[in-house]
Amino acid sequence: MTDTITDPSLDELGPVDYIVVEFPAGASSFTGEMVKELLALVDSGTVRVIDVLILTKDADGSVEATELADIDELGPLQAVEAQLAELLAADDVEHLAAAMEPGSTAGVLIWENLWAAPFASAARRSGGQLIADGRIPIQAIIASIAADEAATTEGD
Amino acid sequence: MPLRAARVGRVGVIGHPVAKTAVVAKAVTPGPAPIAKTAVVAAAVTPGRRRRI
Repeated sequence: MTDTITDPSLDELGPVDYIVVEFPAGASSFTGEMVKELLALVDSGTVRVIDVLILTKDADGSVEATELADIDELGPLQAVEAQLAELLAADDVEHLAAAMEPGSTAGVLIWENLWAAPFASAARRSGGQLIADGRIPIQAIIASIAADEAATTEGD
Repeated sequence: MPLRAARVGRVGVIGHPVAKTAVVAKAVTPGPAPIAKTAVVAAAVTPGRRRRI
């Protein structure tokens, strides 16, 4: 077994991320704005949508998953649905729904960061290996700045 | 509605139950305090800002 990626298609694959966006019961307000922004990212070549599922969690904790294709009148999302790869497995539905509150609905979005693919590919061709990645929570940035400012104030 | 048959019996990619991300929910909650925090974050990522070590 080797860490070297030899499949050209995999070598050109950008990082894949996911989000679960929860809409608490009675709190959703769908105006089409989310779809518009997602399509803008797709159309600009920034991301490629790999998979989408709509999850609902009943009050008793049972989870139901709805495929994008099962939604009536997808509108402009039809083009996105046609390109989905259905990456998520049934086990993933249970794992993702663990974050949901009972009585809520959530959208699960899996996407490839096309914008990062050329850089990642170049790094690999240069002999680099990804050894860490992650996301910095905004709250951590706030805490860092607050601590910095507090230290500055104390020093005055 | 049931999942498509292709999703059943496959090995998943998530691997473990996901915990709710309370941090993000708080950061995007509208109101006076988060707006102030937004300004703080914007200042933190301003081009040219240098760390002091």
